[in-house]
Amino acid sequence: MPTSRRAVLATALAGTLALPAIRSPRAAGPVTLRAVMQGDLRSFDPVWTTANISAYYGAMVYDTLFGVDDQYKPQPQMVDQWSLSDDKKIYTFHLRDGLAWQDNTPVTAADCVASIRRWAVRNSGGQAIMARAADLSAKDDRTIVLRMKEPFGLVLTALATCTTPICFIMPKKDAETDPFQQVSGRIGSGPFTFNQGQTQPGSRYVFDKWDKYVPRKDKASGLAGGKVVYLDQVIWENIADQQTAAAALNAGEIDFYELPPLDLLPQIQSNPDIKLQVMNPTGYVGEARMNCLHPPFDKVKARLAMLYLIDQKAILNATFGDPKYYHPSPSIFGYGTPMSNDANTAWFKQAPDPAKAKQLFQESGYKGEKVIVLQATDFAFMNNSAQLIAGWLQGIGVNAELAAMNWGEVITRRASMNPDDQGGWDIFVTYGGGFDFSNPITLIALAANGKKGWFGWPEDAEYEALRTQWAEAATEVEQKSIAEKMQARAWDFGLMAMLGSWTQPAAMRKTVDGFLTNPDVVPFWNVTRT
Amino acid sequence: MAAYIARRLSATLVVMAIVGVIVFLLLHAAPGSPAAIIAGDNATPAQIALINHELGLDRPLVVQFGIWAWRVVRGQFGTSIFSGVPVMDLVEQRLPATVSLSLVTIAFAATIAVIAGVFAAWRAGGLLDQVLMGIAALGFSVPVFVVGYLLIYLFAITLHWLPVQGYVPLSRGLGSWLAHLVLPGTALGLAYLALIARITRASMLEVLSEDYIRTARAKGASPLSQLFGHALRNAGVPIATVIGIGIALLISGVVLTETVFNIPGIGRLTVDAITNRDYPIIQGVMVIFSGVYVLINLMVDLSYTLIDPRIRR
Repeated sequence: MPTSRRAVLATALAGTLALPAIRSPRAAGPVTLRAVMQGDLRSFDPVWTTANISAYYGAMVYDTLFGVDDQYKPQPQMVDQWSLSDDKKIYTFHLRDGLAWQDNTPVTAADCVASIRRWAVRNSGGQAIMARAADLSAKDDRTIVLRMKEPFGLVLTALATCTTPICFIMPKKDAETDPFQQVSGRIGSGPFTFNQGQTQPGSRYVFDKWDKYVPRKDKASGLAGGKVVYLDQVIWENIADQQTAAAALNAGEIDFYELPPLDLLPQIQSNPDIKLQVMNPTGYVGEARMNCLHPPFDKVKARLAMLYLIDQKAILNATFGDPKYYHPSPSIFGYGTPMSNDANTAWFKQAPDPAKAKQLFQESGYKGEKVIVLQATDFAFMNNSAQLIAGWLQGIGVNAELAAMNWGEVITRRASMNPDDQGGWDIFVTYGGGFDFSNPITLIALAANGKKGWFGWPEDAEYEALRTQWAEAATEVEQKSIAEKMQARAWDFGLMAMLGSWTQPAAMRKTVDGFLTNPDVVPFWNVTRT
Repeated sequence: MAAYIARRLSATLVVMAIVGVIVFLLLHAAPGSPAAIIAGDNATPAQIALINHELGLDRPLVVQFGIWAWRVVRGQFGTSIFSGVPVMDLVEQRLPATVSLSLVTIAFAATIAVIAGVFAAWRAGGLLDQVLMGIAALGFSVPVFVVGYLLIYLFAITLHWLPVQGYVPLSRGLGSWLAHLVLPGTALGLAYLALIARITRASMLEVLSEDYIRTARAKGASPLSQLFGHALRNAGVPIATVIGIGIALLISGVVLTETVFNIPGIGRLTVDAITNRDYPIIQGVMVIFSGVYVLINLMVDLSYTLIDPRIRR
């Protein structure tokens, strides 16, 4: 049959008219939720890396012995019954019924012991436990016994931590992998299975509901309680471009966008089918680290000068704009966390006070040395903050110089203990999860143990003694009291400079409901999509 | 001809080797370390050093290069430091999306550009010429992400005709595959459209003043026959060259387009790898694509013989 131009045109028109149908993102069938998470899932080993997205993956595929509830209290999860001996040295954990790996073999205490041991190498809370542990063993297939040399009040807190790396329980053969090598297995005992067949690394990650998962009977709360799954499939689409992700949410191609940039929120909110929800109430905390090994910040007064110099509101406003989502805060323990307090924060009420900062710099014996501020240009918060800080320093006569680079270069250079002229640095800006700041043992940034500690290497014996006391405190009340003393001391020697706290709401279609709020992990159980 | 092709193919291997050395040295000279990224923000320098050791990144550079080169010679490009997936598997997964985008882009750009260039030359200096070349200049000067966002806003958000983002393999249906490539192909193709249209116009102007065109016109050939039957074929070599260059340039051009339209192609794989300092991926992709680049040039050279039989002699 000859093909006429009219027939070709008719075919093209029919194709065009069919496009809306092709475009339709939804089809009847299993309930699938499409989400854009905070970044690409680069590693499938949530113990090997501290990346939050890998912890999200871990929470899908694996389970934990304990989990924190929405009040940040540890609650049993894989554990059914547990006990602590009268001398507070022997913990006994009994696994609950129905725990099974996704290859249908039972979860055993030996799996848990191997998993705790591997995790403890990579997590500072785990390290604190193992440093005080006399023995960790499987008494039988379902009983784990942890014998401590001395009472240690943070055992459950550490096992339940939602600060990465989280203590996910893996099959023994995976858990016996060198903690500095990645596991190759993708089998867990969590509420979702990882669908490797449909996953495209770097593009999309697919999780299927695991029908044989037995949730706890209690109500879901944080990372604790019954992990009841209402979705058949969850797909994480890795959309790198924020504008595109917002457009995809707007068009209904995705259901959930974890971290839309705040400047796009007005545009997103203009769609009546979209709602916002703050997933992580403790948000994030910004800090400026000062290099305590070299002038000028080897002097306490120069470090204290930074407290007076920095205008947290200006820093936060430069990146986050809307005051609804940020909070200037003087506490080393972040904003709104259980340990936040206002001990020794008179400087905060006075700041910004450039004249006072200038005076303190002079009193520190500052001789015009160069102050190199590392500027990570690929992160808005770090980029903006570094520029403001350098400008303020220059404004009071400090010889500040910005060193522009990407974040990958910052995290390499910040490890240098050399002086500036040999590749060193003086200030870099970073941030962390707000909840992480409530635990000075697991967050190494809150240590002041010199070169054994975190970048900037502040050193103060009195503060460190308090930190040890905090770890050994028996109750939260006692911990809070010690936390106040720690903070009072921290602002005497200039542990770091705080840059304030902020939250960032997730955006989702109104057809989605049930997301649980939790620091550091976004759980997909309890979530429905109509 | 066979000897010529064999000579060009062997030259490809030399180019790939040189690119391999340069890429390896540049990567390791650049600041930044995968170990620090893996270790996370909360890691101590000691932990970072341990990961460096596990990855073998603390060995002398010569040793690291020797190990990598020996693997490449055996066809092994290593595995991603982060995902542990073999580089060749990642390339295989990403290649269809990039090839699809490139094909649609070049098909769109070349078809429209050649026609526009021919008609612009036919009416050189006239209104049609000025309008067509004005559009071409606009396509060349507006960045792909601006065009991309405008197209998304108009055709995906406002009119709901096409999807905002994503890629669907051809195996899931021609309509769906094409629907996901129309906007990115158009956004990316506009720049190439401009380039090809201007070269076509210039080349056609030269040919249209030749005696044989005047002869064809005198013999009563229709304008379309003069333009497409006589002139275009003789003006084809420079047009083929610029289309070939366009295909080669697409390798870098797809990066932004793949990001804006969330297409899981080679461009995004490379950019993500560079951000993460995932050395095996960067090195593997660069070496493979240096080979592809040379092969495209070879194919363009060979196409001359099809366009202009005189070259065969």
